[in-house]
Amino acid sequence: MIRKATSFVFRYARREGAELRHQPLKVLKEKGKGFGIFCLHVVNVGCAVHLCTQYVGRISFMEGPSMFPTLADKGEIVVEDRLTPRLFPDRIERGDLVILKSPIMPERIICKRVLGLPGDIICVDPTGEKAPSTEHIVIPKGHLWISGDNAPYSRDSRLYGPVSMSLIQSKLIMRIWPPTIFSNPLTYLD
Amino acid sequence: MLGNLFSKFRSHSNRPLFFRKWIYWSPIPLTSLTYFYEVKQISGQSMKPTLNPDSSAWNDICLFDRYSVLLHSERDYNREDIVTLRSPDDPRRILIKRIVALEGDTVKTRTPYPEPEVKIPQGHVWVEGDESFRTDDSNLFGPVPAALIQSKLVRILWPPDRFGPISEPMIPSHRSGPAYRHAMDAIERKKTRQARVKVGRPYGVDANTY
Repeated sequence: MIRKATSFVFRYARREGAELRHQPLKVLKEKGKGFGIFCLHVVNVGCAVHLCTQYVGRISFMEGPSMFPTLADKGEIVVEDRLTPRLFPDRIERGDLVILKSPIMPERIICKRVLGLPGDIICVDPTGEKAPSTEHIVIPKGHLWISGDNAPYSRDSRLYGPVSMSLIQSKLIMRIWPPTIFSNPLTYLD
Repeated sequence: MLGNLFSKFRSHSNRPLFFRKWIYWSPIPLTSLTYFYEVKQISGQSMKPTLNPDSSAWNDICLFDRYSVLLHSERDYNREDIVTLRSPDDPRRILIKRIVALEGDTVKTRTPYPEPEVKIPQGHVWVEGDESFRTDDSNLFGPVPAALIQSKLVRILWPPDRFGPISEPMIPSHRSGPAYRHAMDAIERKKTRQARVKVGRPYGVDANTY
């Protein structure tokens, strides 16, 4: 059976090759042109998909320990909304999870939780580890205070102060993996 | 005759198809605009004697390079480059400024800034306009994150008499007239700008970053 099928493929390929050899140059050129246009279509669709994932929304993998109880170290898949934070930066609220470019490493993308909005007075570090626990600052205009959920393993506003809203790339809408429907709704605190 | 008239109407019915074709093929030019080169008109006075000088009646139109900032593995900008960046205060505004210092450098600041000297923190740059009294720059809002930089100016496209890359200021051979004075002013500004910066070492990247 397999032999039959392969022999058919070979015969077909040979016939195609023969056809190509006997075709006049004009037809060959036309075929090449058609292939070129097809490639252009493929590139075009690729560009469209890329623009969508850059400016509208996308599904992405998360990793890193800084958001630990909320998002695990690895194997998390989330949906990002990249449109509304760009269009309406004022709609970001306290408690949102945002993805932004790191202010201290330009090539790095980080995910943190928004704690303070412009005009809020915030305690830099209540535990007193990275700054004296009495130090309070007012968040300036157009800036946010961000913080990781897993404080000891997170480098966030405690280290580099309020971050500019212009760095924000997207907002997390939902997590799609691991699915939360079948998981135990109880959480254990100790 | 009636047929002729109808054929005219029929040719109009092609118009939506034409637009649909435009929309269908738009992703390729849009992507190349966001990642390679873009052309922008410069409004405002922040780079005044270099761009939009008083002598020209036009707003300058310039070519900007986004590839070297966004896609290049090492973000390719240096001191004295003119860049566009998103305003740190307002995400919707785009500023055009000159990079004065990179991370690790020490800068002598100007009036609105509270401290006389700043060491630029990791991943930040110090940007300024060319004439300090015209612009809101790092002297107002401090060092800005390098991630805000959008593109780098390559050359001026319009007006035609200043077409070309922005050249190093040189002393013209004819030692009088406005051209000579402007060139000397540019040299003087460059000297003072560079005298205020003490070049330092960039911060090392530590391995366990999270």
